[in-house]
Amino acid sequence: MSKPRNLVLLIDDEPKIRRFLRAGFEIHGFSVGEAENAADGLKIATFNAPDLVILDLGLPDLHGSETLERLRSWSNVPVIVLSVESDEDEKVRLLQAGADDYVVKPFGMAELLARSDAALRRYFKSATENPVVVVGPLSVDLVSRTVSLNQTRIKLTRKEYRLLHVLAVHVGLVVTHDQLLKEIWTGNQRDNIQYLRILVRKLRQKIEADPNQPRLLVTESGVGYRLENRMETSVAD
Amino acid sequence: MSFSTKANSLIYSLPLFQRLASVRVRHGEAEHVFTPGFGATPRPVMWTEVLPLLWSIGSIAVITAILFVLDEPIAANLVPIAYLVPVIFAATRWGIWSGTLASLTAIAAADFFFFTPLYSLRVDNPQEAIDLLVFLVVALVSSNLASRLQQETERLRRREREIQHLYEFSKRLAACFTISDLIDAVGHYLAHALGQRAALFVASAGGHFEPAPGSGDSPSAVQDNVAAMTATVGATDRSITDESTQDVWLLRAIGSKTVVHGVIAINVGRGTREAIKLRTRRIETVLEEVSLTLQRLDIGKAMDDARLHLQAELLRDAFHGTLSHELCSPLAAIQGSVSVMKAMPAATADDRLRSLIEAVSDEVVRLDGHIRNLLNATRVTAGGLTPRLEWSDPRDIVNAAVKARARRLAAHRLEIRFDDDLPLLNVDSGLIEEACGQLLENAAKYSPSKSTISVQTRHDGVRVVMSITDQGVGVTPDEQRLLGRKSFRSPRHQASVPGSGLGFWIASTFIRAHDGTVEIASRGHGLGTTASILLPAPQTMDLELVTRDDE
Repeated sequence: MSKPRNLVLLIDDEPKIRRFLRAGFEIHGFSVGEAENAADGLKIATFNAPDLVILDLGLPDLHGSETLERLRSWSNVPVIVLSVESDEDEKVRLLQAGADDYVVKPFGMAELLARSDAALRRYFKSATENPVVVVGPLSVDLVSRTVSLNQTRIKLTRKEYRLLHVLAVHVGLVVTHDQLLKEIWTGNQRDNIQYLRILVRKLRQKIEADPNQPRLLVTESGVGYRLENRMETSVAD
Repeated sequence: MSFSTKANSLIYSLPLFQRLASVRVRHGEAEHVFTPGFGATPRPVMWTEVLPLLWSIGSIAVITAILFVLDEPIAANLVPIAYLVPVIFAATRWGIWSGTLASLTAIAAADFFFFTPLYSLRVDNPQEAIDLLVFLVVALVSSNLASRLQQETERLRRREREIQHLYEFSKRLAACFTISDLIDAVGHYLAHALGQRAALFVASAGGHFEPAPGSGDSPSAVQDNVAAMTATVGATDRSITDESTQDVWLLRAIGSKTVVHGVIAINVGRGTREAIKLRTRRIETVLEEVSLTLQRLDIGKAMDDARLHLQAELLRDAFHGTLSHELCSPLAAIQGSVSVMKAMPAATADDRLRSLIEAVSDEVVRLDGHIRNLLNATRVTAGGLTPRLEWSDPRDIVNAAVKARARRLAAHRLEIRFDDDLPLLNVDSGLIEEACGQLLENAAKYSPSKSTISVQTRHDGVRVVMSITDQGVGVTPDEQRLLGRKSFRSPRHQASVPGSGLGFWIASTFIRAHDGTVEIASRGHGLGTTASILLPAPQTMDLELVTRDDE
């Protein structure tokens, strides 16, 4: 965790959710601001310039996605969305609208902290530029475009590297199918998710210890892929 | 039935009744040849026709006897008037033929007994001949008039009776809310108002007709004919003659424009072709009204169904909303709070505290699973299960299912194997994952801890098969039969293993939505179970080229 205290803004109408989020973030060295509706949330975001926003979708005055849009119209602050239903379309829409990631209720604090961490790291990346992304045994050098596994260089095809590169840039965060397809392919192949699935299979064979049970390149069902940034994947926190 | 509904039906019935009544009256005028009490238990024809004639002659005999005992001059004066009495009586009572016969008998008796020469039919006196002739004319005319009057009265009375019956009938029709009400009403009307014997046959599920319970008997010829009919719209109506009694039976389909509900067989009796035609027409008018009522019932039923459907939908939406918000939100707060507590120094320092926190956490996960099952069940029952298809890797699906149920599977040894040549599947990965998770959970639930659960995903060319094999209690053939039912739980486990019985049902419904099947195999009680998800595999596409081009 970074040393200066990051300010996290919690926008959620449920006091009990805010209470445990506050406790959880404070334990991990964040300072916390709270808002119980979108109007207050946007106001606080304007004046206090938080480093991270946790946004609930079911706000009383404005739908979460609209709040997100308004926020995004002037701010680049990392936003993590809390959604109740595991509706994949909704998740994809939110990610496209500029959310950095999401967690589905009920969730554990560890999961949210991991996502927050990843989002913050990506946000501050330019300041603490480190061109090498290291995840467990895998390291990806974004500048020299080299990949090594357990200190051994491995050879990837162009498309495989492109895929890994995009995921490494967003390490810890989910990247949607659409985003990946657009980054890797051109023309009408862009719309064909089958290409992506096959490419992921091939990449996994090169970087995963057991390609049948991937630990690094994980699937977010119906949404996209994520390059895991913490290897000790405990399942339910 | 509530009072208000009844009142409504009565209001509704009025126009129908008027319509019916007008039809009846029109028919009534054309039908004056009908014998009264048509169709009632037929007495021997000879007897009913001869008896009135005998009575007419008898009444003349009585008058003659009375006149005979009177003094001759008085009797001579009374003769023409006295004989008119039985003539008019006979005409009014028994009709024109009795009246005419009475007139002729009277003139013969008067001539024979009272006009000179006595005891002879000869008439010598021209004055007397004229008297007799005038008497004959008067008798005939008045008997004719009287009999017509009688007919008219009879017809009016009959029409009144008919109208009364029809009124009752239309009232009953209007109060019919089910097909069986209607069949009762028709049977009752035919039997009581028209005096027809009728038998009813209702359409069965198989498209054939079966005798309605409580309906009348019918000869075997009729039953054979009905058995050969099928319940299709436009099934030919027909008439059948019962060989043993020579009765004609009409067979008519009862139904609206779209559905045939049954067949009615009506005994039209015997008689001339004309008479049978008339009765047939009359019955058909009734049946027309019946089919109008049926249409009303069909419309009413459709409206009821629609209303019920809407209510169910509203209720389900409300239920869904309640589940997903009112229950999920507190659960999220508990889960979140527990996860924060777990990370606190106090908890990490104290084992007891940590184990309590674990317990809360486990229960929250279980509760969340139940809520998700209910949500899934409402989703399925809504018929709103439209899979969101996307090409997915079966490995990802199985892994996600295992990961989501990791806590429930923690006490078991897990073996996961995949074939190398697994194709991508065009499925709703969320639904397949859920189905797979349900089967995994069942495997964990019904097998001892520390035993092995193996998950194998194969490709056999046409299908992708995900099988989950446990070393648990197994499934008996009886249980296997009932497994697919919603909320089925084997009595063997009801007390010992918690559950709602929704899991397997949800799994198989989700898989069926993908044209797949779930198969359960078990060598029996205590010998473990293999649950397999079978999904059709797509035709393989050569996608290798796409990624090979840059190697």
